[in-house]
Amino acid sequence: MADTAATAGAGGSGTRSGSKQSTNPADNYHLARRRTLQVVVSSLLTEAGFESAEKASVETLTEMLQSYISEIGRSAKSYCEHTARTQPTLSDIVVTLVEMGFNVDTLPAYAKRSQRMVITAPPVTNQPVTPKALTAGQNRPHPPHIPSHFPEFPDPHTYIKTPTYREPVSDYQVLREKAASQRRDVERALTRFMAKTGETQSLFKDDVSTFPLIAARPFTIPYLTALLPSELEMQQMEETDSSEQDEQTDTENLPLHISTPVVMSGGEMDVSWSRRSCRAEMRI
Amino acid sequence: IIKLNSKQCRIYRVRINDLEAAFIYNDPTLEVCHNESKQRNLNYFSNAYAAAVSAVDPDAGNGELCIKVPSELWKHVDELKVLKIHINFSLDQPKGGLHFVVPSVEGSMAERGAHVFSCGYQNSTRFWFPCVDSYSELCTWKLEFTVDAAMVAVSNGDLVETVYTHDMRKKTFHYMLTIPTAASNISLAIGPFEILVDPYMHEVTHFCLPQLLPLLKHTTSYLHEVFEFYEEILTCRYPYSCFKTVFIDEAYVEVAAYASMSIFSTNLLHSAMIIDETPLTRRCLAQSLAQQFFGCFISRMSWSDEWVLKGISGYIYGLWMKKTFGVNEYRHWIKEELDKIVAYELKTGGVLLHPMFGGGKEKDNPASHLHFSIKHPHTLSWEYYTMFQCKAHLVMRLIENRISMEFMLQVFNKLLSLASTASSQKFQSHMWSQMLVSTSGFLKSISNVSGKDIQPLIKQWVDQSGVVKFYGSFAFNRKRNVLELEIKQDYTSPGTQKYVGPLKVTVQELDGSFNHTLQIEENSLKHDIPCHSKSRRNKKKKIPLMNGEEVDMDLSAMDADSPLLWIRIDPDMSVLRKVEFEQADFMWQYQLRYERDVVAQQESILALEKFPTPASRLALTDILEQEQCFYRVRMSACFCLAKIANSMVSTWTGPPAMKSLFTRMFCCKTCPNIVKTNNFMSFQSYFLQKTMPVAMALLRDVHNLCPKEVLTFILDLIKYNDNRKNKFSDNYYRAEMIDALANSVTPAVSVNNEVRTLDNLNPDVRLILEEITRFLNMEKLLPSYRHTITVSCLRAIRVLQKNGHVPSDPALFKSYAEYGHFVDIRIAALEAVVDYTKVDRSYEELQWLLNMIQNDPVPYVRHKILNMLTKNPPFTKNMESPLCNEALVDQLWKLMNSGTSHDWRLRCGAVDLYFTLFGLSRPSCLPLPELGLVLNLKEKKAVLNPTIIPEAIAGNQEAAINPSSHAQLVGFQNPEASCNMSAHQQGVKRKADTPLGSPLEPGQILEKNEDSSKVKLKIREEIDMDTVHDSQAFISHHLNMLERPSTPGKEQSPLEMSMHPVATAPLSVFTKESASSKHSDHHHHHHHEHKKKKKKHKHKHKHKHKHDSKEKDKEPFTFSSPASGRSIRSPSLSD
Repeated sequence: MADTAATAGAGGSGTRSGSKQSTNPADNYHLARRRTLQVVVSSLLTEAGFESAEKASVETLTEMLQSYISEIGRSAKSYCEHTARTQPTLSDIVVTLVEMGFNVDTLPAYAKRSQRMVITAPPVTNQPVTPKALTAGQNRPHPPHIPSHFPEFPDPHTYIKTPTYREPVSDYQVLREKAASQRRDVERALTRFMAKTGETQSLFKDDVSTFPLIAARPFTIPYLTALLPSELEMQQMEETDSSEQDEQTDTENLPLHISTPVVMSGGEMDVSWSRRSCRAEMRI
Repeated sequence: IIKLNSKQCRIYRVRINDLEAAFIYNDPTLEVCHNESKQRNLNYFSNAYAAAVSAVDPDAGNGELCIKVPSELWKHVDELKVLKIHINFSLDQPKGGLHFVVPSVEGSMAERGAHVFSCGYQNSTRFWFPCVDSYSELCTWKLEFTVDAAMVAVSNGDLVETVYTHDMRKKTFHYMLTIPTAASNISLAIGPFEILVDPYMHEVTHFCLPQLLPLLKHTTSYLHEVFEFYEEILTCRYPYSCFKTVFIDEAYVEVAAYASMSIFSTNLLHSAMIIDETPLTRRCLAQSLAQQFFGCFISRMSWSDEWVLKGISGYIYGLWMKKTFGVNEYRHWIKEELDKIVAYELKTGGVLLHPMFGGGKEKDNPASHLHFSIKHPHTLSWEYYTMFQCKAHLVMRLIENRISMEFMLQVFNKLLSLASTASSQKFQSHMWSQMLVSTSGFLKSISNVSGKDIQPLIKQWVDQSGVVKFYGSFAFNRKRNVLELEIKQDYTSPGTQKYVGPLKVTVQELDGSFNHTLQIEENSLKHDIPCHSKSRRNKKKKIPLMNGEEVDMDLSAMDADSPLLWIRIDPDMSVLRKVEFEQADFMWQYQLRYERDVVAQQESILALEKFPTPASRLALTDILEQEQCFYRVRMSACFCLAKIANSMVSTWTGPPAMKSLFTRMFCCKTCPNIVKTNNFMSFQSYFLQKTMPVAMALLRDVHNLCPKEVLTFILDLIKYNDNRKNKFSDNYYRAEMIDALANSVTPAVSVNNEVRTLDNLNPDVRLILEEITRFLNMEKLLPSYRHTITVSCLRAIRVLQKNGHVPSDPALFKSYAEYGHFVDIRIAALEAVVDYTKVDRSYEELQWLLNMIQNDPVPYVRHKILNMLTKNPPFTKNMESPLCNEALVDQLWKLMNSGTSHDWRLRCGAVDLYFTLFGLSRPSCLPLPELGLVLNLKEKKAVLNPTIIPEAIAGNQEAAINPSSHAQLVGFQNPEASCNMSAHQQGVKRKADTPLGSPLEPGQILEKNEDSSKVKLKIREEIDMDTVHDSQAFISHHLNMLERPSTPGKEQSPLEMSMHPVATAPLSVFTKESASSKHSDHHHHHHHEHKKKKKKHKHKHKHKHKHDSKEKDKEPFTFSSPASGRSIRSPSLSD
């Protein structure tokens, strides 16, 4: 009877997983684990004398079991970390169980009870693959003064300083060129996208795609959009305000203070540009 | 009889000293010509319209609303006692005078930013409450406005208190204006305004629509300086105890000044990042403030004195400009204004500042060259009025030239101090006439203060229209060392007049600059001017200039025999003139390089266009590079250089004009093809940077195409434009870049008229189109300030269409022209549609435009469409056009005859258009005029008819009171008995005559009634006004009416009623409304509020009128004889 429930549960989850064929290995792993738990619950129920159980109650019990086990694991991990270890030991588990109000002494007896059912170990399904972090280069081994249970060094590229011998691209012309075409590309892509997804107008009757114009939409309060500076402008203004503190109404020529150092402005450019384009995208 | 002005208002009852008074409502301007069927002659219309306007002209003692003083009160009148008039009225869905802006979004009225404000052209207060709508009738005011609690009511005078109504849902604003003010200067704005007390002057408060507060703060931060400036030069404090600025949407005009309050367009607001709008907005602020002193505080005696006020306010505004923007800007502005007025007068034939109507006959009508009457502000074309203002301040400047600025300011101070003394004289209204300015009074104080006789000057420029046109040329007589100057005048063409008197000529010689004053007389054309210097080319001596500066000049270009460098005629612009002067090209070049006056530089740039030589090119380039040179001069040098380059195209060497210059000034040192990142800190170079590419794009190569190099250059500018480090917005700059692209477009080479498709698109045009598409689309995502970029894109697209690169199609523009787009975009789009209508002769588009003129919610847009159609007409009177047909004539005729009665400006605009399309006489597309003649006769008869037969059918209803009271078409009505009838102004006449009694539509009775009764606000008037109206005027008015062919009346058949849907429309709307949505409810609120207020106003007015009435009443008998049974008079007769 327990079997029926169990198989029913298994069947259920089977179809479920079937329907979610596309799910990733991690999901599969969870499903498998859950299935095992269900089997356990079902056998415990059988052991307790139930002949059948509703699916809902089996699910509930499974859920409870799962939380209980998870909690044991979580606290055990805390205890072991508390003592500066990475692997929990038996005593960690015991302390945990005690802490959770479980009488540990009864455990051996229970484990040896006669009518217990033995459940075969679940088939080892595909382990969840933790996507491998991008590794570059060899991780350095621990130097002798660091105990081996300490975590490994991260990838060298995250902390190693590599002196480069090639000049960064600081040619003003190239940078300007790059910035300009970058912006242009973003703008074009963006507007094309908007045009494709929305209503358009066209200058040519026979061709609507080459020069798509986003259709004109009346505003309910047209003056607001027309007069208020956009967020982007506001932000820019703050930036420039903090960098220059000239008087705004100054009509006098400030003699060519325009020609800011070429290289420097080039350097900043990329950074702030990408911020700007992000913003532009976010606005949509 | 008391006559008041009132339009649109529905009047329920009138009580005088608590006695019911009978009243008639007749507004002849509703429909100017009655059923004269096929006449369609503009001359006729203009006369009729002028007559209609004078028939209700408050300055002549007339009005639309005639109230009969009950006989019980005649004694009061005789004793010159005060009469208190109480009028209950409501205003429902006004079409003019008050403008409601109600955005259709979710939320309460306040959340939606709904607001209302009063607006209009000249004295238009009668549109929203009955009053003596004249600038010369002063009284003090107490105004109360009850509005939704979330709203703020802004009006004239001091806010005394704000009281919640019992239910706490509404607030009543009490305003008190103790300075006597004309009804025409009363205004109102209500909306959920954000309020800013000026941090510099606590008596000044600014109001703007929700969310715009930061802009308001920035925009108005400058205002106190204007205040200080005016108070200082006028040595007079601002006359009112407070000042309010209100910024509203859908403004009628950008700036409207009323007593102690100015209403501005919200589009004037700007943030600190905007360069171009800043000076414009400041100018608007300064202008409105100048009008507070002259125009609001000091008002005018009559329409013919308008020029004094406009002149003084324009003049002090000019002084402010000079101080704020510098002498260069000021002189440049004066020159611009002078050129404008000269061009206008030469085109249309004269602007008369001080029209005198001394009972003259039609033939010596001073404005016979115009298609409208200048007797009344309301008949004036808007353009004429603009030019009128422009001329007024220029003439004021001429007076200053004559009597010195010091005296001038003394005169102003005198006017102001007299007025402010008078204004504080409570209860002595006869003193108040000091607050009105008249031409003669003004001239008198000038002669008192300065002791100078400026009569000739006044005669020339004020009493006479026209400008002077000089042609000058010269020869140098070497033997006598004399400059023989010949100055001719053209005073025969229209718009010109003869000038006799002094004329200043400045001659720059080698040894210095010398002024000569020539006496221009009848017949002397030649003037000999002795030269001071010998022609020897002195050994490298410095040459002294006018301003004392000494400069080195390269004299190799000049004529070795002559010591003359350049000659200027009337350099100070002390005559309203156009000068065409001939001198050699090198002289112009010297003038451009070395004369320090911006006007001279501008003139020489204009002249150099005719001398495409390398020397001119060099001179212009030098100017362009010269940092000290006035930026506007440099800007116009750009365009001149482009023209010269085009004329010299075959011999031009080197890169395209201005390219290397631009590269040097604005591009990176290391990579000359990339423009520097924007930095607009120096405004001069900003303007230059904006302008140069636009001018460059006008360059053409030998094939008359824009050189590829230039186009690439502009495209690169756009590509590399980078505004990230700039603290100013670059939206105007980018917009000009698009203008530049548009300028580079040349007509497509069309192979046998093939259809324009994408495949045969010119590759250059493809590039341009790509930019435009991208810009226009980006605007949707990141809109620019005032959508300048969209505007430029739309214009550019139209240019592409017009040049045949892109199929001509108005659909795009029409979608941008819809209500809901920003007004600048709409105007640009409409302009394109107007142009399309002309080029493609599209009847459909013309109809679409006309439809918009009639139905668009924004008065400014309607006005603007008419204006643009007039400027760029689909056809003109001498042109054959398929568009010109009878239906169109009828349509336009209807538009000006009755369709625009709610907006003077619009009606005059329609008249202008009609004139442009069809001319003064009968439109040529109509069947031949025999018929018209017959009709004419008929008309005359018709005129007689009403006089003779005073509508026998009079209203049964009225019988109760006054059996004989029916004037032509008008019925006196007992307000109580038949208030429904009287309700709608528009309908009134007809109703009276029509089978009558039949109350109007059922919906009519309206809540308003209740309202009004509730609203009884007692206004106490503190004034008794002496009437300015004289009985003479009154009589003559009646006479006029007799002559007027179009007396409203005649046969009003029931048919007519149906013909005027306009009249009845509001009613039906109303009915619907109450049935329908919440929105309408809001409207109601507004309306109610207004009504209440109005009532109050009325009361005040009434007081004044009492006096008037007395006088008039005494006269009844006198009138009646001349009027020979004129119906209007009849009531008094009967009495």
